Amino acid sequence: QEEPPECLAPKPLLSGAVPLEAFLAALHKHGIVEVKVEETPDGHILHLQAEDALIQLEEDGTHIVCDNNEPLRTALRDLVLRFLQKF
Amino acid sequence: LIMKDNSLRLVSPDQALKELGLSEHQLRFTCRVQLQDPHSDADTLTRIFTHLKSVLKAYAIQHLPDGTVMVESIVIKVSSTAEEPNVKVILLSWSYQDEELGSFLSTLLKKGLPAGL
Repeated sequence: QEEPPECLAPKPLLSGAVPLEAFLAALHKHGIVEVKVEETPDGHILHLQAEDALIQLEEDGTHIVCDNNEPLRTALRDLVLRFLQKF
Repeated sequence: LIMKDNSLRLVSPDQALKELGLSEHQLRFTCRVQLQDPHSDADTLTRIFTHLKSVLKAYAIQHLPDGTVMVESIVIKVSSTAEEPNVKVILLSWSYQDEELGSFLSTLLKKGLPAGL
């Protein structure tokens, strides 16, 4: 992609929550199996060891932190989106 | 578009969520891009700012005094470690609503900064 996106077409708002167990199963199915789960006051942090990525799962938000690896980022994004409703 | 009490109304998505009694789920991304750059962190950020200004003419780009560059609502920061001052880590953070621009910026910055900036 050489040209910047021409106009800002905002994506839909999201609602719902990402359930930990089902999400772990989805990661597993996607071949992401080395996941260390840490409990936090507001949810969980998933350390994807082989991919060197973090996913912070909370009731009202999800934060995906990874190196600049677009295939991984978009795959994680799509796995998260499966559990959320779009408006 | 929501239908309530037998009437149809056009409302903003966040208003629709509220009226349906739902709360928003924020999906955010933070991407780390590494650059080899012998300048100071602040100079690297200034060069990123200049580069983005020339590439993204139609967008609001700000260089804030707290050491961040913002492209619309996307936040860009630069850091490095004392051990490897020439390895700059660019942190890009955006929400799902800015997905296209965030993805574009991470791909753009991965290519590095043009010489002569």
